[in-house]
Amino acid sequence: MIVIAPSSDLTPDQVARFIHSLGLDINIKETCYGANIEGPKGQVRKALTEVRKLDPNRIFSKVRAFPIGDERRCRAHHGSRPGFNQVEKEWKDLSMIDAGLCAADRGEICELPPPPEKLPVKRLREIVDEVTK
Amino acid sequence: MTIKIAQLSCGTEYSGIQSEIDHAADTVGGKMVYPDVAFDDIKRSVDEFGFNPASPQLQLMIARAKSLADGHYDADAVFIATCFRCAEGALVRNEVRRYIQEHTKLPVVTYSFTERLKAAQLLTRMEALVTIVEKKELLARERQVGLTAGIDSGSSTTKAMILRDNEIIGKYWTPTGPVLETGLEVLEKALAEAGVKQSELDGIGVTGYGRFLIGKKLGAKLIQEELTVNSKGAVWLADRQKGEATIIDIGGMDNKAITVRDGIPDNFTMGGICAGASGRFLEMVTKRLKVPIEDLGALADKGDWKKVNMNSYCSVFGIQDLVTSLAAGNTIEDVAAAACHSVAEQVYMQQLQEIDVRQPVIQVGGTSLISGLVKAVGDMVGSKPIIPKHSQYIGSAGAALLASGFLEGI
Amino acid sequence: MKVFMIPPNSLILYDLVERFGHQPLSLMGELREHVVKPEIESPPLNLSQEDIMNGLKYAGIEVPSGVRGRLGIWGPMVDEAEAAIIMHDMPYTFGCVGCHRTNLMLIYMVRRKKIPILEVHYPKTDEEAKVMVTKIKAFLEGLK
Repeated sequence: MIVIAPSSDLTPDQVARFIHSLGLDINIKETCYGANIEGPKGQVRKALTEVRKLDPNRIFSKVRAFPIGDERRCRAHHGSRPGFNQVEKEWKDLSMIDAGLCAADRGEICELPPPPEKLPVKRLREIVDEVTK
Repeated sequence: MTIKIAQLSCGTEYSGIQSEIDHAADTVGGKMVYPDVAFDDIKRSVDEFGFNPASPQLQLMIARAKSLADGHYDADAVFIATCFRCAEGALVRNEVRRYIQEHTKLPVVTYSFTERLKAAQLLTRMEALVTIVEKKELLARERQVGLTAGIDSGSSTTKAMILRDNEIIGKYWTPTGPVLETGLEVLEKALAEAGVKQSELDGIGVTGYGRFLIGKKLGAKLIQEELTVNSKGAVWLADRQKGEATIIDIGGMDNKAITVRDGIPDNFTMGGICAGASGRFLEMVTKRLKVPIEDLGALADKGDWKKVNMNSYCSVFGIQDLVTSLAAGNTIEDVAAAACHSVAEQVYMQQLQEIDVRQPVIQVGGTSLISGLVKAVGDMVGSKPIIPKHSQYIGSAGAALLASGFLEGI
Repeated sequence: MKVFMIPPNSLILYDLVERFGHQPLSLMGELREHVVKPEIESPPLNLSQEDIMNGLKYAGIEVPSGVRGRLGIWGPMVDEAEAAIIMHDMPYTFGCVGCHRTNLMLIYMVRRKKIPILEVHYPKTDEEAKVMVTKIKAFLEGLK
């Protein structure tokens, strides 16, 4: 399953056509998020390596349990399955992961400021006094 | 027409039972569908609903229920299911059921499952859901016409009734032995009482567990699950065809609680996980007490259930309680009363919590002839249940009545 | 190394583990073996009674069947894991990871193993994502 981050300029159609042009022995199905590909492991891996090169930090992939077009997981057949909402959310957030990957490429040292400490009881008491004055 | 049944559930796939659900729906002309919701709808729906379960799949159930209620998704019926023994799931299941009933007119059934799902029970529920949607006109029939027979092949007893022009002219019941033979026997005896021949019948209706076998053999015009048939028979026998009512049927193997509006069921629950909450338990009690089942009610009327500690969630433990209390010197009247109270309590806890009980309550089935049990049910629901005449024949009466709906030109 | 991920069906984690040179122990890969079996007895996931019984190794019979069914699949994957990444505050745990109780149990099972574990939080901003991705990269590179 190949997913294009929303921050990429690539379209699922471009990705699918590119994979077709590789002339590999695999099935390709364009989806709203990218494309699903299926075939012998080596061929799928090759396609994945090549397609990633188009936009390395904005093309993502994972294994999908169900074969392409399987009715058991077909949205048109039963309505959307729970996993659809997950892909929907992860896809939206891929732009953030893109930012993360770019930072990693640059070797940035990324740290977040420590979370604020809990308000001491003494200070809370002072605030209560101030507010209720 | 395929009936779209919206599935709101958690755990069905990982319990390995989704295929059974799909199969049951398919068998009765239905199809399971999942109301579409977008990711952003889920949080909004849960916030509006007001119950925020920790398990996201239950949040999704809520969002899907809202999608149905808001009319964003079109379905004909609703099936709500969660894993047995999951507290969070049980709470959400019940609240989602209530929400659907308050906000839609869709028939709903709830189900709590384990990996060892009982296919026959699931099929009955699905069939009833589909029947309510598909055969509304048939279920609206209030008068029987022509000469028809109804057979109710139950787990404990088999009943037959012959009706002519809305009058009962013959009836018979006997304990269920071999399904087909017993079905044919009760029909023959009921026909004899009515003084008519089988060849004279305009139509036959069959319900109960053995409906397919008997119905096929007799070429029945109606072969239908007992939930809709029994509720029809109950309101017909009780002459309560208009308005609302709750029908309680404590059967030999499982119990049914059905709410009806103008004689058409709009919600039902069916129990049957433990025999302790069924008529079978009372049968076991009478055997142990060495009294005929016909006398159990009168004995219970004289006893005081509070004197005996009995909780028959499980029939085996229930009988253990009985043995212990007899050994401790309790009277058989007190034990009989405790047994009736215990069954009523189980029905109240397991079934009546899943529907909104509407008055009047009509109690039917063979167990409604046990006065002690009727009293105990009355104590639970806060009013004396109506027991129609021939209340043990509801299934056969309903089957004969509905079968007449298929007669042309009458 | 074989890296287990929580949530085990995450696209983001699967991609990062593979991108940085390790083998993701994929729930979807595991399920694929079930769903493409020639004998389909229990669609859609084709989990058998035996799979659910396998869950008893990780949780008792009094635990709901949906939890045991999940653990029956995930448990052996945890057993196989040589390292793990746990992502907290996941906003999208539906379906396979829709049961909160099972997710808690899974985190515990991973923590109980004596393997390298990285625990991160699901990002809400680019800044948080940068922290998460660089931490994951460093963790995975350090495993070699």
